[in-house]
Amino acid sequence: MQSLNRIAFLSVFTAASITIFVVESLFPTPIPGIRLGLANIFILLALIYYGIKEAFLIGMLKSILGSLILGRLFTPSFLFSVSGTAVSIMVMWLILKSKLPFSLLGISIIGAEAHTMAQLILATSIFLPGISFLYISPIFIISSLITGSIVGIITYLIYSKTERRFKFCVD
Amino acid sequence: MRQENRFRPLRTGDIFIIILFLLSVFFLPKKHGEKVIVSVDKTRTFVYPLNQDREFIINGKLGTAKVEIGDGRVRILNSPCPLKICEKKGWISNKGDFIICIPNRVVIRITGENYDAITE
Repeated sequence: MQSLNRIAFLSVFTAASITIFVVESLFPTPIPGIRLGLANIFILLALIYYGIKEAFLIGMLKSILGSLILGRLFTPSFLFSVSGTAVSIMVMWLILKSKLPFSLLGISIIGAEAHTMAQLILATSIFLPGISFLYISPIFIISSLITGSIVGIITYLIYSKTERRFKFCVD
Repeated sequence: MRQENRFRPLRTGDIFIIILFLLSVFFLPKKHGEKVIVSVDKTRTFVYPLNQDREFIINGKLGTAKVEIGDGRVRILNSPCPLKICEKKGWISNKGDFIICIPNRVVIRITGENYDAITE
C-alpha cells in the first residue's frame, strides 16, 4: 500500500513540476533567463515528505522531460537546468536535515540562490573564461531572492494545507 | 519524528539570510580596471590602457563599431547590430566588467594588471 501511494504521489509531483516548468518557460520575462522557478515547490515538498532520493528523481525528470518537450535537450540551457537543480536540491536537503533555524521560506531562498549561483559559475567557466562570476551576480542575487521568497511562501501554504493528509500516506 | 518548528512561517534564520543576500550586493568586490581588451571574432585582440582618452573604430562581422575610452571608462558609441544592446550597456569601468555584442562578434573586457586573459 505504502509503495503504491509513493509511486502515485511521486508521479503526480513529477507531472505537476514538468507542466509548471514548461508553461513557465513560455512566458516572457523582463530579463532573459530569469524564471520564477515554481517547479521548485514540488521538489521542496518531495524533500519534506520523502527524502533526497525522491527529490532528485523529480528534479532530474523535470529537467530532462521538460527540455525534451521544449526541444532543447542537451543544449547549454539544459545543462544549466540540470546542474542548478542538482545543486539546489543538495543544499536544501542539507539545511532541512541540519538544526539551523530556517523555515520553508529560508530554505527556498537558499535553494534559489544555490540554483542561480551554480548556473552562473558553470556559465562563466564555459562561455566566458577570465570573467569572474561575481561581477554579474548582483542582479541574479536580487532576482533569486524575490523568486525564492515567492516559491517559499507558496510551498508553506501548500504544506500547511496538505500536511495532515500526507502524513497518512507517507509515514 | 519531524521537527515541528521547522514549518513555522518565519524563523530567525530567514530574516538573517534575506539581510545577508541584500547586503552582499553592496559589498561585492569592485576594483577599477587597468586595461581594455577588445576582441573581434575571438581571433583579433587589441589591448588599450584605460587611463588614456581615445576614440577608435573596430571592424566586426557586421561592420564598423565605434568605441570610446574616457575618464577611465569604456563604451560602444555606435554599432551596426540590430538590437543595440551593447550601446545600451553604456559605460563600464570595473575590473571584470564587459560589453558583448554577439551579432557583431565584438567583446570588450576590462582587466587588471595581470595578463591572464590576453594569453588565450
